[in-house]
Amino acid sequence: MTWWQAMLLAVLQGTSELFPVSSLGHTVLVPALLRWTFDRSAPTFLAFVVALHLGTAVALILFYRTEWARIVRALVASVVRGNLSDDPDERVGWLLVVGTIPVALLGVFLEHPVRAFFGSSAIVAGFLILNAFVMFAGEALRRREVTAARPLAGLPWSAGVEVGFAQAAALLPGISRSGSAIVAGLLLRLDHDDAARYSFLLATPVIVAASVLEIPKLFEPEAHGILLQSAVGGVVAAVTAYASVAFLTRWFRSHDLRPFGWYCLLFGSLCLVLTLVKVIS
Amino acid sequence: MKPLALVLAVVFFIVAILYLVGVLQIGVSHPGGRHVSHFVLFAVLGALCLVWMRFQGTPQTRLR
Repeated sequence: MTWWQAMLLAVLQGTSELFPVSSLGHTVLVPALLRWTFDRSAPTFLAFVVALHLGTAVALILFYRTEWARIVRALVASVVRGNLSDDPDERVGWLLVVGTIPVALLGVFLEHPVRAFFGSSAIVAGFLILNAFVMFAGEALRRREVTAARPLAGLPWSAGVEVGFAQAAALLPGISRSGSAIVAGLLLRLDHDDAARYSFLLATPVIVAASVLEIPKLFEPEAHGILLQSAVGGVVAAVTAYASVAFLTRWFRSHDLRPFGWYCLLFGSLCLVLTLVKVIS
Repeated sequence: MKPLALVLAVVFFIVAILYLVGVLQIGVSHPGGRHVSHFVLFAVLGALCLVWMRFQGTPQTRLR
């Protein structure tokens, strides 16, 4: 892997992890489009990917640092007290806990078989197109809803679990984690702002846990040769992820998911056609 | 619900330890060896069951 490839992958990871366009889908399709031939299962590449995920996790924590501090304080207070209160931060904290359980369970048991089974470019492009229609459908159904939006802390526990299951759909390469979680939030009558905030907060423990558990890969002997590339890549991923989440939180105050849906539809269709005519494999 | 939460916590902790020592190999990507991610998952689920047990029977607090 050259430096140019490493930095492009870092920018791709930092942006596509948070934009509702599927980072996993892009890390399959973009290298295929550019005819990159490096071994994606090599220890050096896996170590590099861990660094990118760590960078993304750090960016998310930094961006929501004050909110996480409030949430963690409220959760600890609730456990110490031994009961639930109507504090909104505590409510959001427990919603994040119940929303993380489905994706953690499904991720630990299904991630590898699902990715091995659905890893081909054609299938990923197909899922990217499906991701577009999920976002279009979510927006259309939300606009039909006549009742007013409710606050994030007003979600019932079952809704937290539903958003968690929606997020787990991102185990399929091409389906976006943030996109499916935002759509689920919209269908549960959150506004775009709160649905996106819940999606980004919900993504944080998953990305942090996945990165931290994989940290030993960074220190394997085979990974030493790529340590500098990994460190720089991690910083680049962190900066782009921070900029992405800053942009998206502003975007969802007054815009919706449809432009990302159009992007997924066009890019997915292009990749599907190129795969079918065997321009990419 | 307290006994259920306790039983679940114990079961989850036992499953977590079995994954950690490599006795349980159900649903793992690379059979053989220890499975730290499975251990962490079940250990966290066990801890959450203990929190759930703690919440049982205590009246809800109204902050405002």
